[in-house]
Amino acid sequence: MSNITTAPFTYESLSQLTMKEGVLELQVGPAHAGSGHMRILVWVEGDTVVKVDPDIGFVHRGVEKLSEDRLYVKAIPIVERPNLVDTVNANLGYIIALEKLLGLEAPPRAQYIRVITAEISRIISHLYGIAIYGIFMGSSTVFMWALADREPFIDIMEELTGARLTYSHIIPGGVRWDLPKDFGERLEVALKYLEGRVSDYEKIWMNNPVVRARAEGVGILSGAKATELGVVGPNLRASGVKCDVRKCAPYSVYSDFDFDVPTFKEGDSYARLLIRVEEIKQSISILRQALKNIPEGKIIYEDYYKRMTPLMKSIYDEKGRVKFTSLLTSLSPPKGQSFSRVEGGRGEIFFYLISDGTKNPYRFRVVTPSFRNLPYFTHVMPGHKLADVPVIYGSIDYFPPEADRR
Amino acid sequence: MSILYFIPAQWLPLIESGFYALIFPGFVTILLLAFFIIWFERKAAARVQMRYGPLWVSRKTGGLIQLLADMIRFSFQEFIVPEGVDFLPFIFLPGFLLAFAVLPTIFIPIGPDYARIFPSSYTLLLASAFTLVIPIYLIVVGWAADNKFSFIGALREGYLLISYEVPYLLVIASAFLLYRTLDLVKIVNIQAASVPGIILNPVAAIVYLLVVIRSTGRVPYDIVEADSELIFGPYTEYSSLMFGFVMGVPYIELYGYSLLFATLFLGGWIPLTGAGFVGGLIIPGIVTFVKAVLVMCLLVFLRAVYPRYKLDKAIKTGWTWVLYLAFVSLLISAFVSYLI
Repeated sequence: MSNITTAPFTYESLSQLTMKEGVLELQVGPAHAGSGHMRILVWVEGDTVVKVDPDIGFVHRGVEKLSEDRLYVKAIPIVERPNLVDTVNANLGYIIALEKLLGLEAPPRAQYIRVITAEISRIISHLYGIAIYGIFMGSSTVFMWALADREPFIDIMEELTGARLTYSHIIPGGVRWDLPKDFGERLEVALKYLEGRVSDYEKIWMNNPVVRARAEGVGILSGAKATELGVVGPNLRASGVKCDVRKCAPYSVYSDFDFDVPTFKEGDSYARLLIRVEEIKQSISILRQALKNIPEGKIIYEDYYKRMTPLMKSIYDEKGRVKFTSLLTSLSPPKGQSFSRVEGGRGEIFFYLISDGTKNPYRFRVVTPSFRNLPYFTHVMPGHKLADVPVIYGSIDYFPPEADRR
Repeated sequence: MSILYFIPAQWLPLIESGFYALIFPGFVTILLLAFFIIWFERKAAARVQMRYGPLWVSRKTGGLIQLLADMIRFSFQEFIVPEGVDFLPFIFLPGFLLAFAVLPTIFIPIGPDYARIFPSSYTLLLASAFTLVIPIYLIVVGWAADNKFSFIGALREGYLLISYEVPYLLVIASAFLLYRTLDLVKIVNIQAASVPGIILNPVAAIVYLLVVIRSTGRVPYDIVEADSELIFGPYTEYSSLMFGFVMGVPYIELYGYSLLFATLFLGGWIPLTGAGFVGGLIIPGIVTFVKAVLVMCLLVFLRAVYPRYKLDKAIKTGWTWVLYLAFVSLLISAFVSYLI
């Protein structure tokens, strides 16, 4: 703890640093090709970064307070919004916390469908991360490839839910739509395609000498320090800490699946790139197991099904669609509090709900993984060259709207 | 012949040199080539990246005149001169950049009859000297723009310029050592008598191409303009048509370097040869031109494969491996020159 500078940000410390001879203050962002929706204040002495201060909050919208004004079900689309490329995991985390409050559990088929969509979402999120890493390092090819390779999965999700990014598919007590008939075959085609593409990425990106020259040994964070700073997700695992909420505190039906938690001991930018590729491979394996073992049965909590009108029931039986009963739309959980932890694409998402017995949450709290990965800016970037700033930024898969809880 | 009949004989050299400088391979060709090469870069990268690239401006030609549409759009944008810039350098330096990017092409012969238009036996020296003027203006632009990112871009240009200029001059020296002349026409004639220079001294050709990628800021050496770090390097403050100019300058620079490469290492107008303005300059010139364009296409295609290299590593590479290779090319030149 002693070797970490945790001095709070003060105006005086800034001005002293700016006054120092030979130190240049750079305002990277908010309108800069390498910043995203944020401003990074970078102080450079020569070509060496001496201090970095991420100035976040540019896209803060207040998901927590917005949700507290709404019915529990109507908060689902808002909860999804902060992280547009990994919506299912945010949705799942909120619903798990809500179901704990309500004291119910979704039927197994619904749980399997949740896992399938969550893993598809994780693949989409990791591909997006690789794409952003590519464009930050100046390779438009990897940017275009990774963004385009999300497309088969987005199409599958569109067929399932009708939306491309914000699915709102998971509801208290189950999911909204059952899997279409040819879902398994279509997903298998997409998975085969992705497996082929991963080897292409290895050729042009992971084994590219320029990539290795720029990413290897850059932005090293040791496992002990990573734990101390509280970073989460693939970045933590790239530092050699085997921590995955799916394994260490299993939720939904993840305990039924056989998968590895890949770790790398290097903890540099290159390891943070490789870990995402390895996790994509694990997600492919989980998806195959889920498709093989998915049980038959209801996709909605039994009690909610019973309260449906005959017309709703006939729609459910014919099309596998859950219509919202009045009970579902106006949930009022008993007094109490609950929390949930889920492993999102960028790391652990934490949800905390307090109910006062009314139809709106009394308090809703979400801690997003990107916010917890902020120490990479303040603690890892200083000491590197200016050209390493986008490399480290890209490697941690930081998503400003998620950190700001847009 | 019938048109030339009416022109006084003493005007002919003037018209010929004017044609050389303004039409082919000079100004007009360069502008048309800039259209082609930027289109090719976008289209080739798009093919690798699973997308269409320029398409909707002139659908029949596959978006070939996209750059024209871009230029029209640029010309209707406001040209912003920020407070605090050094006004005159800021306004005029893009023009100088453009001019000095075009100038080297005048000293590079594209046909055997070139000596009649520009009698000089130091064309290699002149052409390479004029290619080296541009970075100085780039550094001045970076300082004049009064922007921190421009300033850092100019500093980067300065560092890289010094680290890659030494190998460049060594390669020029090894070419001189190899052919024992500074006259590019004679250099091509020597290659016609033996084999093209790329076989005589492949190491020199490799170092030359590396230096060209560096000087013209092609990927992976787009360190000076690195967009995720420095927005647009020294040109960050330019907007509207001025932005279009400075964006085009590297491609024109690349053309000069590629012509020189075609003459030094690819045998220029071999296998064609002839005499007179048309037979000795224009028709062999097309061969040289095509060789140069192929080199350009190769270099701009690198964008689809590599990400950006890092400044300190690029400087280190320049002072170590590229420099060593340049010395090796000197030795090879001395050896081969002894043989032929």
